[in-house]
Amino acid sequence: MYEKKKINWLFKLITVIAFMIILAPMIVIVIVSFNATEIITFPPQGLSMKWYANIFAENSKFVDGFLNSVKLAIVATLFDIVIGVLASISVTKYSFKQKGLLISLFTSPMFIPSIAFGFVLLQMTASMRILTPFLKILIGHIIIILPYIIRNTLGILTSYDWTIDDAAASLGANPVKVFFKITLPIIKPAVLSGALLAFLYSFDEAVISSLLTSAKFTTLPVQIINYMEFRFDPTVAAISTILMAISLALMILMDKFIGLDALTKQ
Amino acid sequence: MKTKKKILFLALPALVTLLTVFIIPMIYTFIEGIATDKLDFYIKFCTDPFYLSILGNTAILSVKTTVLCLILGYPTAYFLARTQSKIKSALLIATIFPFLISAVVRAYGWMVLLGSNGLVNHFLMAVGLVDEPVKIMYTEKAVMIGLTQLLLPYMILSIMSVIQSIDSNLEDAASSLGANPLTTFLKVIFPLSAPGVVSGCTLVFTLSMTSYVTPRLLGGAQYLTVSTFIYSQVKTAFNMPFANAISYVLVFAILLFQVFSNSANHYVSKKVGGV
Repeated sequence: MYEKKKINWLFKLITVIAFMIILAPMIVIVIVSFNATEIITFPPQGLSMKWYANIFAENSKFVDGFLNSVKLAIVATLFDIVIGVLASISVTKYSFKQKGLLISLFTSPMFIPSIAFGFVLLQMTASMRILTPFLKILIGHIIIILPYIIRNTLGILTSYDWTIDDAAASLGANPVKVFFKITLPIIKPAVLSGALLAFLYSFDEAVISSLLTSAKFTTLPVQIINYMEFRFDPTVAAISTILMAISLALMILMDKFIGLDALTKQ
Repeated sequence: MKTKKKILFLALPALVTLLTVFIIPMIYTFIEGIATDKLDFYIKFCTDPFYLSILGNTAILSVKTTVLCLILGYPTAYFLARTQSKIKSALLIATIFPFLISAVVRAYGWMVLLGSNGLVNHFLMAVGLVDEPVKIMYTEKAVMIGLTQLLLPYMILSIMSVIQSIDSNLEDAASSLGANPLTTFLKVIFPLSAPGVVSGCTLVFTLSMTSYVTPRLLGGAQYLTVSTFIYSQVKTAFNMPFANAISYVLVFAILLFQVFSNSANHYVSKKVGGV
């Protein structure tokens, strides 16, 4: 039993270290965001809210960047929910020969490095004047976040009992009604958790965005990276703290309405 | 016939989207690159030790990150899977929460911590381990620390879900038959959790090979990985054909690794008895 205690003790110690590493940068950011001095010191020399005010300063483009990122993420996520749910149904409701191929095609963007795909988009769209930077980045995000929605939806649909749908149909409901009244309510938690991950992935995405961005249109993550190249003051800590608060709020909402279980199944 | 039409109708939107803006452009750009420049830029990459060292360093960095995540992640996953402690749900939330936080934000936190004026250096000097600030930022160490923090939750969750499905009676059975805890762990628990270890390692290795934000912010121009090197070829050297060639080297390296890890996965699940 002495040895068992030793192993338990070691595992607990490593767990503590692991969570220290996971949480350290995030805790430090919150503390630094209230720092009174421009030079980042630790522990902070006095408290101040001026870095938060700085985000909204006149010449700061952070608010624009934030709105651009939100717009991109909303459009990309909504688009992918539609095509992703339909695609997931196609490969779970019916069984056919090319099913496996189709599933690997649907999740293929996961295995391609974003930098390579972003660069391909950059080359392909360079001569297309009609495409604004917003549309170019949107195309990129629609592709890379699709697997998140499809994987979550597939996860629930593989155990879905399609005879319920047949029952509803035999009682006279048309396919559209069956989908909205029966299928969708059942798969909603999985679709929503996939959508949350997809939304945040698009919102935080910085690789494709930095390749395709223009002086007129940038997203928030790109703006933060560019800002840090010239200045290293706690303004970024203030923005980061706000972003973490938003994510925390989303997570609490998610936990309240559908539970966090769906998120742990990566 | 009718079913086929239905399948096609449902799959079509996603299929058309993926083919037109993803699959076809990826293949077209690759073929076009070879058609215009033959293999010149691939040869340039593969014959120059400097370029090869970037690929090698990225692979070594990814292996180190994967090993570090495994060393830290396995015991954590085991603890989380088996504990009945009240803080379990708080720890689970702490594991999931980072998924929702931008890589930019998390790298920024490390920039504050690891700088020459940062908390880590203050601590090292206060304890007396070093006399003057150590250079951590813009080295492999900084990128490795950043990536470990970024990817550790993936490792923990992959392994945890497998350990949760292992019957804890097996551990009692082993010890009642006289196995000491270490033997029980090495002969029973670890082999049974191998599928989770393989999938966690695959995920962490792939994501570190292709990561861009963390190496850009913590490695900068002084410590290059394949991704940041491609970016610098595009945005500062304007050498598009070369960037194109390196992109596809990375793509094929990742696809090759996927094939390898798939067979590892297959082998392990077969040994464990199918999951």
